[in-house]
Amino acid sequence: MSGESSRIRRRRKVDYPTLGLWIALFVTCLLWAVPFLMMFLTSVKSKADITHLSTWDLPTQWLWGNYAEAITRGNLPVTGLNSLIICVIKVPLGLLLAALAAFALARLRYRHTKLVLGLFVVGSMVPVQVALGPLFSIMLETGLLNSIWGLILPYLAFGIPYQIFMLYGFFRAIPAELEESACLDGATTFGQFWHVCLPLAKPALAALLILDVVGTWNEYAMATTLLQSQSNWTIPVAVQSFSGQHGTEYAQLNAFILMSALPVMVVYLLFQRYFVSGAFSGALKG
Amino acid sequence: MKNKLAVLASAALAITLAGCSGGNGPAGDSGSGANTSTEINIWTLASANPAKDAAWDKLVKDFETANPDITVKTDSYSTDQLKESLRLATGTPSFPDAYMYWEGPGLGGELVAAGASMDITKYYDQYKWNDRFNDTVLANVTRYGGHHGVPWTIQGEGLWYNKALFKQAGITSEPKTYDELVAAADKLKAAGVTPFATAGTVNWYIMRLLDPLIETKCGAAMMDKLATTAEAWDKQTCVTEAFTELKKWGDNYFNDGYMALDTDSATDLFFRGEAAMVMEGAWFGGDVKEKGPDMMNDVGLFSFPTGTGRLYGFGEGFYVGANSTKADATVKFLDFITSAPSQKEFSGLWGAISVNKEVPPDSSNPLNAGWESIFNQATGMYLNNDQAMSLANVTEFWRIQNSVLTGDIAPDQAGAAFQQFIEANK
Amino acid sequence: MPARASTRRSRHYGVHRHPVRKSLPYLLPAGLLYAVFLLYPMVASVGLSFQKWTGFRTAEPEFVGLDNYVRLFTSDPVFFRAALNSVVWVVLSLAVPMVLSFLLALALNRQMVGRNLFRSVIYIPAVFASITVAAMWKWIYNPQFGLVNQTLRSIGLGSWAQQWLGDPKIAFFSIFVASIWQGVGFNMVLFLAGLQQVPQELVEAATIDGAGTWQRLIAVTLPALRPTVVVVIILTIISSLKVFDLVMGMTTGGPAQSSQVLALWSYQQSFSSHAFGMGGAVATVLLIISLALVVPYLVWALRGEEEN
Repeated sequence: MSGESSRIRRRRKVDYPTLGLWIALFVTCLLWAVPFLMMFLTSVKSKADITHLSTWDLPTQWLWGNYAEAITRGNLPVTGLNSLIICVIKVPLGLLLAALAAFALARLRYRHTKLVLGLFVVGSMVPVQVALGPLFSIMLETGLLNSIWGLILPYLAFGIPYQIFMLYGFFRAIPAELEESACLDGATTFGQFWHVCLPLAKPALAALLILDVVGTWNEYAMATTLLQSQSNWTIPVAVQSFSGQHGTEYAQLNAFILMSALPVMVVYLLFQRYFVSGAFSGALKG
Repeated sequence: MKNKLAVLASAALAITLAGCSGGNGPAGDSGSGANTSTEINIWTLASANPAKDAAWDKLVKDFETANPDITVKTDSYSTDQLKESLRLATGTPSFPDAYMYWEGPGLGGELVAAGASMDITKYYDQYKWNDRFNDTVLANVTRYGGHHGVPWTIQGEGLWYNKALFKQAGITSEPKTYDELVAAADKLKAAGVTPFATAGTVNWYIMRLLDPLIETKCGAAMMDKLATTAEAWDKQTCVTEAFTELKKWGDNYFNDGYMALDTDSATDLFFRGEAAMVMEGAWFGGDVKEKGPDMMNDVGLFSFPTGTGRLYGFGEGFYVGANSTKADATVKFLDFITSAPSQKEFSGLWGAISVNKEVPPDSSNPLNAGWESIFNQATGMYLNNDQAMSLANVTEFWRIQNSVLTGDIAPDQAGAAFQQFIEANK
Repeated sequence: MPARASTRRSRHYGVHRHPVRKSLPYLLPAGLLYAVFLLYPMVASVGLSFQKWTGFRTAEPEFVGLDNYVRLFTSDPVFFRAALNSVVWVVLSLAVPMVLSFLLALALNRQMVGRNLFRSVIYIPAVFASITVAAMWKWIYNPQFGLVNQTLRSIGLGSWAQQWLGDPKIAFFSIFVASIWQGVGFNMVLFLAGLQQVPQELVEAATIDGAGTWQRLIAVTLPALRPTVVVVIILTIISSLKVFDLVMGMTTGGPAQSSQVLALWSYQQSFSSHAFGMGGAVATVLLIISLALVVPYLVWALRGEEEN
């Protein structure tokens, strides 16, 4: 920056509207952050502090041990691993299956393509509770009940429709020339999918990946219905461990909640730039 | 990159498929017996208590040691999942040889009616179980005709009170009648003390007051008929009286803001000496003990004075699966776990009072003595209505209970509203 | 969302060029999973709604025609409350968090100090599981120790302290506030993505023509954002009708069913009361509402594609 321009900037009048906007945003964010601050404070307090101090008071004694107890009580090594296994398998597999189907619908079109697409997409609108009753029966009959491996199957089924819808738009937008040149190079249909379409859809895949990681990691309704023994619980189901017959352990509960969101937060921060920078661009062109 | 992805994907598929073909089902505590041994499968409630888990494992192990030809496989479920799984498994080969369940008509009775439970009268004769359990306990297994289930726990609920607060309010003796109880509540209120602590987020906690009120106003026989809907709720003035009393308690004697509280907030008020009474079960003695010796001396206990002489509570039992082909082995195990030595070994762990009448109450907690006298004095038992009624009715019962308290349904409309629902859902 | 195919491409890609069997291997894995674990249970649920079944294997479901629906509409004291709440939730979600997230996106689309931090703070609640958000807010609303009432008391507004989740008149709205906190970030990101699609040339041209901030918004930004707005509306409707975890975790529909919603009521009918027929009927109503709101969009989107 040259000296001249900086002098001009300094002399410039204060931009009041922008300043006001900034302050409004700052206050909003503060408001948004308050629950987190409170959670953190609660998570390091003793039971006595929670009942006797005000929410905003610092703890008389910083009980970091609450975190260790929360790990034990929520059985985090087991429940966390269960959630992790489900995520690591379900997310890539689901994206792959959705991409394959979206590719077929977008690029290998035949008469009823749209009907099939419509049928798929309707599924993304169905609240899972609509299907839970019969789903329970299916899982029981097939012996998939109370098993995280079994749970992955309905997870896939409920994740796929939305992803197909998003990726369909993306694949449709790919210029045919690219594929045709691939064809001339002797690529098979699968080659077109794998070498042409999939790489081009990377930004959409990244965005869907975040969404799917968040959604899968946090899924509660199906997990609580279909997983039974504690050794199979995922993290959201384990939240109930903190309210027992002897009351709710608020400090540990808040510690657990904070810890449980850490992995997803990391994923979000890592992929954040894809998220805003037009990751949905292909898909959003209505 | 792409190769890695492909490997990952195929690995994922392989694992998923592997998962489908095996490794499912709840992890059991099955011992590794010989191939010729009989394996019995038992479904029970998952406990959040490591001591209970350890005790159960020990019982199983001891039994298997004594009976090398039998292995016991336990599957633990959470409350709702146990209910759900049993329903869906009834009549299928995956139904367990025995299952633990609550004994009231709404829960245990429903499964009996559906043909899920085996009448084990001949085993009662064979093992002389009629001598092992007392009449109150046995009433829960004989109410469906024959003998369904083996009693496992018996739980009573009563009013725990803070002696110091009672004294401070000028209450000199434990209320013997409902009127005395109301008078005591008035005195407490006048002394600036919250008479009764309760919590609305779990509906059954308020119900623990409503049920005794109905028992008080309607009497024992009518209470049982109402609970099983054998009598209509809209025909009885006593129902209106009971709901009117509930409303009175809600308006005058409950802690502020009870509707939004958890049970622990309510008991916390009690422990901090801000509320004088809570309606809690025998297990509450353990909570009191945790608070230290001062609290032990400060807390008293009496049965809700309904005037019928019956004890408020419920029982849990182990039912034998109707189609079990291993009933002999299963019953042998149930005999073992309810026998005097087994019950003595883990005295107090599953309840203050053992179902086995030879077993004295757990002496490690002096408060349990109070329960012993309450149990001995009781002329019978009336059940928590969420165990006596069908599940759909309970949901509506709670809605009406809370609506009366919030003023959305007038007490004299409560019985009619409930009856209307019962008729519509017959 | 589905991109409009360019005219050129459509000519190159005849719609009927590919035989079905060529696409089958690509469609089959997703299709099978979808059919077995989503479509079939959904249809079976509708089937259950014409039956009476207590969930027992030994008791065959009994065909009762429209009985469940008659009961739902004439004698279920909770159903109307639940249906009304669900619809109100949709309307409120379209009004409050959507507008709020749009304004935030507009503001945060500008260059400013701390922009990324602001964006993250607003977005982060969205990565928390709804069930944990429910637990968190239940604690915030705790009448004695909760953040809201304590803050009100400490600033001298103790009389404003409420039974946020215990008063049947306000419990539902208290839950909704938690959903605003959780949901605004996601919509904001969608809007931000949409804003980046607004052609800068147009904005600049409008500025040169002397258009003010407001005029630019009306004339250039909003029309360009239309596809995004449609997507956000659809996603908001869908997620509003699916709301379950928050209500389950904060009130389980109480007090006295005042905060009940269709998704949870269906679940409770089936899994708490074991009235699978009634649960199926509530689910079917929910399904019909969902489809009625979303299918027109779907038809419009797919038609639009062909027109090009």
